[in-house]
Amino acid sequence: MGCFSSKVARQHQFPGYEDPVFLASQTAFTVSEVQALFEMFKIISSTVVDDGLISKEEFQLALFENRKKEDLLANRIFDLFDLKQRGVIDFEDFVMAMNVFHPNASQEDKLTFSFKLYDLDGSGYIERQEVKQMLIALLRESDMKLADETIELILDKTFSEADANQDGKIDKSEWQSFVGRNPSLLKIMTLPYLRYIYIYTQFDHRYTYIYTFKRSKGSLGITCKVAST
Amino acid sequence: MTCAWAESRKRRRITIPEILKDEWFKKDYKPPHFEKDDDVNLDDIDAIFNGSDDHLVTESKEKPASVNAFELISRSKSFNLENLFEKQALVKKETQFTSRSPANEIISKIEETARPLGFSVQKKNYKMKLQGDRTGRKGQLAVATEVFEVAPSLHLVELRKTGGDTLEFHKAHSSLNFSNNLDILRNLNSHLLIGP
Repeated sequence: MGCFSSKVARQHQFPGYEDPVFLASQTAFTVSEVQALFEMFKIISSTVVDDGLISKEEFQLALFENRKKEDLLANRIFDLFDLKQRGVIDFEDFVMAMNVFHPNASQEDKLTFSFKLYDLDGSGYIERQEVKQMLIALLRESDMKLADETIELILDKTFSEADANQDGKIDKSEWQSFVGRNPSLLKIMTLPYLRYIYIYTQFDHRYTYIYTFKRSKGSLGITCKVAST
Repeated sequence: MTCAWAESRKRRRITIPEILKDEWFKKDYKPPHFEKDDDVNLDDIDAIFNGSDDHLVTESKEKPASVNAFELISRSKSFNLENLFEKQALVKKETQFTSRSPANEIISKIEETARPLGFSVQKKNYKMKLQGDRTGRKGQLAVATEVFEVAPSLHLVELRKTGGDTLEFHKAHSSLNFSNNLDILRNLNSHLLIGP
């Protein structure tokens, strides 16, 4: 039995599957890294419904290891991965989104992704109300309680820094300048480990694991674990 | 030297620190050089500490850097895709907690706790560099700390490992996380789990 399944067979099982060689040519990943991402994708996409697609629920399970109730910020990242806006993430979407997080992806791409992330209604502007909603969601997640006045103070300060023309919203170029002055804001847009992944797969009757090890630091292991349902 | 190795359990075996000091061992020995972690961004730390001003201000009347809304929002678990990779096999190299204590007090408390642990402390405007004095598994443990202001009287303290062994960072962090003293509100992202 050959170790390379035909693309047609794969696409039947995994709608949106694309050849690793093709995906590698479109991204910063090598062919074997795309194959490693596929192993990860297979596991995440099969946890609730084995349909070769990642649903919102499966995405949350992978990120948080439990089903969260509707969460603004978790929905946001899912929506950005869902490139074709169909409510599910297919393998191509997954690789293209992960590519933005690669250390070698352009700052431009990371900037655009982060802008879209925070522009909740896709209006082309990050509005004050949107930032307030996200801030409240973050506070809820962390159990931090801040008085409304304090929240408003934080927003005032943020907008006085970021909103150059003081129109109450941040446009793409204001975002670009703001990030230029505060580069740590793009920290979340890079996953350094993406530079060093390869696969070792092992099965356990309760869980399915992927072990991906950093090539340069042999003993450090990172695993992608998704609980079986 | 070989006799010292071959000591049975009845008598004490030579220890690694003793070996490192032994003249026979030191001959032609080149200590291993551990590469700086390339996934820890140190630009902001370097910028502050590489300044031409060598007189580090110990009592600063300035306030700590304020956190803006996006810095807070980006700390959400939802936006940290590292979480797609299993935490249990990975010791985090960065941790943070919040405190209502004044910033000066936070800095003093960290220093008070770190010095007896063997760290040398450099401070500058609410950023600190802690350097361990003992050579650990991967060279000296170095930790960078920064205090941010979230709101008047609410501060965020960030601890980052900048050198040395991550397991040792975990142990040091546990000692530095003196929740009783500092009235810690909670840990944001407080998953510190030990790997194999």
